Amino acid sequence: VGAALPVDVLTYEEKTLSAILRVISSGLVKLWSALTLMGFYQNRRCAFRVLQASPFLLALSGNSRDLVL
Amino acid sequence: MSAVPMPPLRGLRQAPRHLLVCEKGHARHARSRHAAHVRDHAYNCRVSFLIPECGVLPEVLKSAIADVGEYYLVRNLSVHELVAHEFIDAFVKKGSCYALTYNTRIDQDNTAALLPNGKLILSVDKDTYEELGLQGRPSRYSGKKVMRYIITIDLTDSGFHPDSKKHNRVLWALREKKPLEFDFLLAWYNTGAEGSTLMSYFSKNQIQALKPKITFSTLRDLQCPVLQSNELQGKPEESCGTEELFEWLGAVLNQVSFCYFGEPKLAYWLTLTVHGFADSPVSWRENEHGFHKGGENLYNFVIFRNLDYWLQMAVGTYDDCPP
Repeated sequence: VGAALPVDVLTYEEKTLSAILRVISSGLVKLWSALTLMGFYQNRRCAFRVLQASPFLLALSGNSRDLVL
Repeated sequence: MSAVPMPPLRGLRQAPRHLLVCEKGHARHARSRHAAHVRDHAYNCRVSFLIPECGVLPEVLKSAIADVGEYYLVRNLSVHELVAHEFIDAFVKKGSCYALTYNTRIDQDNTAALLPNGKLILSVDKDTYEELGLQGRPSRYSGKKVMRYIITIDLTDSGFHPDSKKHNRVLWALREKKPLEFDFLLAWYNTGAEGSTLMSYFSKNQIQALKPKITFSTLRDLQCPVLQSNELQGKPEESCGTEELFEWLGAVLNQVSFCYFGEPKLAYWLTLTVHGFADSPVSWRENEHGFHKGGENLYNFVIFRNLDYWLQMAVGTYDDCPP
């Protein structure tokens, strides 16, 4: 996907192994599908979980689904 | 072998719709809608301030934050308890009572919410709707095959008094026909009057009093955009527009390290960002809110020194246009 469709890694946090990716709107489904189907990286099993997706970067700074009381 | 018509592949490249609206106002103007917009957005999970050039938090803000009251988490609360007249008289008819189911997903689970105007909103799946037997309407975002229904009950309606047919039917549906039970987030704001508190009313349930978690952080060397309150579109080489500000703010609050601007300039504004609950059944007022690929419903104030403000309201796909 990265070669055919430009994807930016805006942030990466080693501690939580989480990142914010940016892609053009028309590429959302392709990128999401690619992440879902990616099961291996350099012969190691891996999985990607999309925590939040939004056209607004600001929306990513607050996710009520992360609220744990 | 028969052929099955496939939806056009171009559908895969279409981005789900979203809306960002911006209005400009002045806080002291008689017809300013800033207070109404804030009041009409009932369920919020996060509030952030960004104050440029601010080393020490102003006292007035410190005390406002310290005065933020408690909210409550009540586990395994039956919805019929919110329809009981003792509850309505004690909390719904006096002051402003808010309730929202905790840990329910608006795109998958049944959800309930109580608005401060006394309306109880139940967002339920098809099976629950049919079992409850209460009058509702299909969800606006359910597609051709309706899988979700919205039931709205006005608890303060004069026709909803304790012995009315309406009240008895609702109570029967929620208590006997299809009992619904959730963990609820509750809050009650009442000026003055003595009486019950939520803590004492629900003392027999598992109730926990909670206070919002507050964090402060100082961002050094943050270059802020120049904004002119009259120039919503920005002025080339002079000031940034609302969309640029919105994106810049998103980058700052998500700790994206970007070099947006050349020279550091003094910023005479601050921002206040409020995030709504992704799984709330409503956004502003009683506008239905849904979760498509995201449940964003947030707003951001940019407040200038002269009390001019920009108010940006953003919603996702399964949302009405903000008011």
